[in-house]
Amino acid sequence: MQSFELTAPTTVDDALAGAGTFLAGGTTLVDLMKLDVLTPRHVQDINAVPLRGIDTTDGLRLGALERMSDVARHPGVYPMISRALLQSASQQLRNMASMGGNLLQRTRCTYFRDVSMPCNRRVPGSGCPARSGAGRMHAVLGTSEACVATHPSDVAVALVALDAQVSLADAAGTRTVPLLDFYRLPGDTPHVENDLRPGELITEIVVPRLDWAANSTYVKVRDRQSYEFALCSAAVALDVRDARVVDARVAVGGVATVPWRLTAVEEALRGAPVTEEAFQEAAGVAAEGATPLSANGFKVPLLRRTVVRALCELTQDEPSGSRG
Amino acid sequence: MTTTRIDAPLKVTGRARYGSDHNLPGMLYGHVMTSTIANGEIVAMDVAAAQAAPGVVAVYTPFDPLTLRTPTTPMLGDTWVPLQDRTVTHYGQPVAFVVAETYEQARDASALVEVSYDERPARTSLAGNLELAEDAPPGLDGEPSSSVVLAEGVESIEDALASSPVVVGGRYSTPTQNHAAMEPHSAVAHWDADGLTVYSGNQGAFVQQADLAAALEVDPSAVHTVNPFVGGAFGGKGRTSVPAFLAAAASRALGRPVKAALSREQVFTATANRPETLQEITLGADRDGTLIAVRHDSWCSADTDRSFVEPTSATSRVAYRTPNLAVSQKVVPLHIPRTTFMRAPGEAPGSFALESAMDELAVALDMDPIELRLRNGSLGPAGSDLQWSSKYLDDCYRIGAEHFGWSSRTPTGRREGDWLVGMGTATAMFPALRFPTTTEITLQADDTALVSVGGSDPGTGLLTVMALLGAEALDLGPERITPRLGLSAYPPGGMSGGSTATASVGSAIVAAASAVLEELQSLASAPDAPFAGQDVTYADGRVLGGGRSMTFGELLSALGRDTISAIGSAAPGEEMTKHSFSSFGAQFCEVRVHRWTGDVRVSRMLGVFDAGRIVNDQAARSQLKGGMIWGVSAALHEGLEIEDDGRLANGDLAGYLLPVNADIPEIDVQFVQHPDTLHNPVGARGIGEIGVVGMAAAVANAVYNATGVRVRHTPITIEDLLEGLPS
Ligand SMILES: Cc1cc2nc3c(=O)[nH]c(=O)nc-3n(C[C@H](O)[C@H](O)[C@H](O)COP(=O)(O)OP(=O)(O)OC[C@H]3O[C@@H](n4cnc5c(N)ncnc54)[C@H](O)[C@@H]3O)c2cc1C
Ligand code: SF4
Repeated sequence: MQSFELTAPTTVDDALAGAGTFLAGGTTLVDLMKLDVLTPRHVQDINAVPLRGIDTTDGLRLGALERMSDVARHPGVYPMISRALLQSASQQLRNMASMGGNLLQRTRCTYFRDVSMPCNRRVPGSGCPARSGAGRMHAVLGTSEACVATHPSDVAVALVALDAQVSLADAAGTRTVPLLDFYRLPGDTPHVENDLRPGELITEIVVPRLDWAANSTYVKVRDRQSYEFALCSAAVALDVRDARVVDARVAVGGVATVPWRLTAVEEALRGAPVTEEAFQEAAGVAAEGATPLSANGFKVPLLRRTVVRALCELTQDEPSGSRG
Repeated sequence: MTTTRIDAPLKVTGRARYGSDHNLPGMLYGHVMTSTIANGEIVAMDVAAAQAAPGVVAVYTPFDPLTLRTPTTPMLGDTWVPLQDRTVTHYGQPVAFVVAETYEQARDASALVEVSYDERPARTSLAGNLELAEDAPPGLDGEPSSSVVLAEGVESIEDALASSPVVVGGRYSTPTQNHAAMEPHSAVAHWDADGLTVYSGNQGAFVQQADLAAALEVDPSAVHTVNPFVGGAFGGKGRTSVPAFLAAAASRALGRPVKAALSREQVFTATANRPETLQEITLGADRDGTLIAVRHDSWCSADTDRSFVEPTSATSRVAYRTPNLAVSQKVVPLHIPRTTFMRAPGEAPGSFALESAMDELAVALDMDPIELRLRNGSLGPAGSDLQWSSKYLDDCYRIGAEHFGWSSRTPTGRREGDWLVGMGTATAMFPALRFPTTTEITLQADDTALVSVGGSDPGTGLLTVMALLGAEALDLGPERITPRLGLSAYPPGGMSGGSTATASVGSAIVAAASAVLEELQSLASAPDAPFAGQDVTYADGRVLGGGRSMTFGELLSALGRDTISAIGSAAPGEEMTKHSFSSFGAQFCEVRVHRWTGDVRVSRMLGVFDAGRIVNDQAARSQLKGGMIWGVSAALHEGLEIEDDGRLANGDLAGYLLPVNADIPEIDVQFVQHPDTLHNPVGARGIGEIGVVGMAAAVANAVYNATGVRVRHTPITIEDLLEGLPS
C-alpha cells in the first residue's frame, strides 16, 4: 500500500471541491489499495457527508452512503433488493459497505487483483490472461476481445431490473442517469467502467414506484451458500393476474460484464401462463448472444435454469432460501 | 468424561498469546518477498532502492544470504531453508527478506526489490506430466509403495480381474489443497546470553528446536522454542517455517529481536500443500458382492525435491479383504509449491477414490452399499499376519444406519419439491500410531501437580486431555493438575501429528505417574520421614501407612521439600509384533441438489466411530465434527488451481473456498467405546484425522444417489451436475 493523504469533508460541496478518491465503507477501495491495484495519493473520507436516508414514500430513494445492511433490513424495500443485499458479502461487510460504493465495486477477476499480471482493465493494452486462463467465474454476455470480467454486484442486478437511476453531482452541477446506461460494456476500453466523471459523486439511488414489485425475488447460485459471489443470479418481479403474467422484470448477474437486463425474456413472459413450461420457454432466450470461454460454458445453461428457478420460486411462494 | 477446554477462557477472551503476539523491545520486522516465476534462475537482484527506503535495516537475498543449513529429521527428511540458492522451482518461492523498523516499512520496501529471472518453461500439470512419474519411496512404516498379493494359482491382477463376474473401475482425482490454518506461519526471534529464543506456532516445540539448531549450527541446548498456543496446524506446521528460519538468522546477524509473518497469499506458496492426486481403481467381485480383486494405482504431485508422497494407494491395502490386490504409488515432480502432510495424508484422497468405487460396485451389484462393505471387511492389512487389535466397524454401521434412517433410502434417491435428495455412506479408517514420548510429572507441596511435555495443542484439546489423564494416573481431581505444553524446555514428545498425541502422551503420563508415586512412597518411608520403616500405599492424593495418612503436599512439607519430579517415557514396543492397529468409522450424509441449478447442500451428517477409549467426550466430538467439515470442504469447495505458468489462480481466502457456517448442517457424532489396551495403556486410539477420511466419498455417493451423476473428482461443483439434471 502506498502512503496517501486523507481528508474528511463534511458537505457535498467540500467533497466536490477536494480532488481525492472517495472513501465510503472502504471494503473495495482499501482492499484494492492493499493489493496496490489502486494507488490514490489523496483519499477523501466522505462518511460525514450527509448522503443518508431511505425514503419509501414514492418508490424508493436511497442515500448513497446508506449501509447495505440498513437498506436490506428496511421494511419498505422491494423484496428483490433486500434479498440481493442479504445474499451479498457477509454481515460484517454489509454493516460497513455503502450502496454507492456497491455500485462502483470492481471486478473480482483474479488477474485484475494481481499487479504482477497483465490486465486490460487495470493497465489498458497489457492483455487479458483470463481468456485462456482461470475464466470459470467470468462473463458470457457483454464481453469483448479486451475483457471478459463480470460485474460482481448483486444489488445492481435488482436495481437495473427496477429501472433505477443514480443521481450524480460534480462541481458543474447535478444530473440523473438510468443505472442501465450508467454501466459501460468493456469494448476496447474496459478500464472505463461507467459514466462517472472524474470527481463526480453518487448522491442518491432512485427506484421508480412499481407496486407489483412487491412480488419479486432474487436467486443467487454460487459455490457456497454464503459469502461468495454469484456464478449466476436472477432478479425477477412478476405481475400476475388470473394465472397469467401481465408484466415482468428480469435481470441477471454473475454472467455479464455489467448488470444485465433480459428484456427479451420479459417480453416472452408477458401473456404467458404461470407454468413451469412457459417459464422454460421464456428463459430459452435468456442466453442469446452468449459467448462462453472454454472454462465457463456451463454458465449458458445455468443462466436459463437460474431464471426458471427464480420464476418458479416466486410463483410457488417458496421462501427463497436466502441466507446471509 | 467431559471437561471443557482448560484453555478456552484464555482463547475466547483474547488473552492467549500466540507466537506473533509477542513484542520485544527494539524489535525489527521482516517481510518475505516471493518469486513471480515458477522455474528458472535469478540472474540479478537490484536491492538499492529497498535498502534506501525509510526504516530499512537489511535486505537479504540469495546474493547476500543469511546462512542456513538444511535440517534433516528421520520423520520429515530434509526441511527446505530459504534464500540459499538462485534457482526458482515454484511460483511464490521466497527470494528476499527485508528487515525494517516497522512492518509497513519492510513490506513497502520489499515491493522495491527488482528481480531479473532467466525463466524456463514450467511443468505444473499432474495429468499432463505422467510420463515423468517415478516410483515412490517406501512409506514411513517401511512398506514398499507398490505391492501385489495374489491368491494361489492366480498369475496376475489382470487375470484376477478378468475372471471376476462383476468389474467396475474409474479414474479419480483430487486437487492440491492448503491447510489454511487461521494463524499464518510466523515467528518472533531474539538472541541473548542463553542463545536463541523463538516464539512460533508449530506442531512440536522440540521439533522446531532441533530444526533451528541444525539450520543455525548451534547446540540444541542453546535454542529455546516457545509455542503454548497454535492457531491451527493440520500438518502444515510440522516442518519449521520460512519466517522462523529467517527471523532467527536475521536476529542473530542484526543483534535485535525480529518478527516475521507470512501474508495469507504467501501461506499458499511459501509453506507446503497437500499434493494433487490421480488414482485409477478397478474392483472385481463375485455376484454376491465378495471382492475378488482390487487394483489401485496412484500418482501424486510433488515439488522438484520430492519432499513428500501422498500415499493414496495405501488405503486399499487396509480397507477390504480381497484375495488379489495390486497397489502402486508414483510421484510426479513439478514446478509447484512444496508438498507436505495434511490432515489424513493418503487416507483422505485415497478413501475418496476407493469409497466412491465401492459405491459404484454396490450400484453395479444392485446391493446396499453398507451390506457390500460389511461383507468385505478386512481382518488386518493385506499381506500381513497381524490382525486388527480391535475392530467394531460393523457396530458403527449398524448404529449409524439406525440413527440416520438409512432404511428409508432408495437406490434413486427421492424428491422434495425442487430438491433431489440423496443419501451416501463411506468407511473411514486411520491407523492407530504413537511416537516415543517423555513427560515430566511434578508433585507440589500445595497438593497440585504439573504434567509437562514439549508437544503442542493446535486446538485439538491435548492440554485438557493431559489434565484428565494426569488426574487419573495420580488419582486426583483434574482441577489439581496443571498441564504444560509448548516449550522445548519440557521433555520431548507429544508432537501434534499422525493422530498420536493422546496415545503417546497418555502412555508417558502413566509411566511418569508411577515413577513419581514410587519416589514419593520411598521418600515417605525413608529413615526420619513421617512413615519411616512402614509399608505405605498411595490413593486419592494421600500416602497411607500404619493407620495414618497424609496428603502428598503435607508429606512434602514435612520433608522440607517444595516438589518432587519424575520423568516417564513410553514408545511403541512389543505390541507391534502381535497386532495391527487402526481406528474405524462409518460416515453418513444426506445432500440436496437443486433440480434447476445443481447446487448441492449437505443437509445431515452422522459419523459413528470406533476409536478406542474416548478420553474427553466433548473435545473428541469437536475434533470429529471438524474433520467431517473438512470432508465436506474437500467434496464441495476446496481446491488450489495451479495455472500452466505455476501461478495460483485462487491463492487467497477469497478464491480458495472453504465452507462457511451456512454450508454445514447439524453434525451428529457417536462413539462405540472399546478401549484398545492392546495398543497402549490408556486404550485411546487417534481421532484427529479419521473424521475427514470417509466424508468426501460419502458426499459424492449421496450426490450420485440424488442425481444419478457420478462425479469422480473433487470438489464437485455445479457444472459437474447440470447436464445430468432433469430439465
Ligand atoms: C470479501 C468480500 C465479499 C463480497 N461479496 C459481495 C457479494 O457477494 N455481492 C456484492 O454485491 N458485493 C460483494 N462485495 C463487495 C461489497 O459489496 C463492496 O465492496 C461494497 O459494497 C463497496 O462499498 P463501500 O462503501 O465499501 O465502497 P468503497 O470501498 O468505499 O468505495 C468503492 C469505490 O466507490 C467509490 N465511491 C464510494 N462511494 C462513492 C460515492 N458516493 N460517489 C462516488 N464514488 C464513490 C470509491 O471511490 C471507490 O472507488 C464483497 C466484498 C468483499 C470484500
Ligand atoms: S477479464 Fe478483464 S479484468 Fe480480467 S484480466 Fe481480462 S481484462 Fe483484466
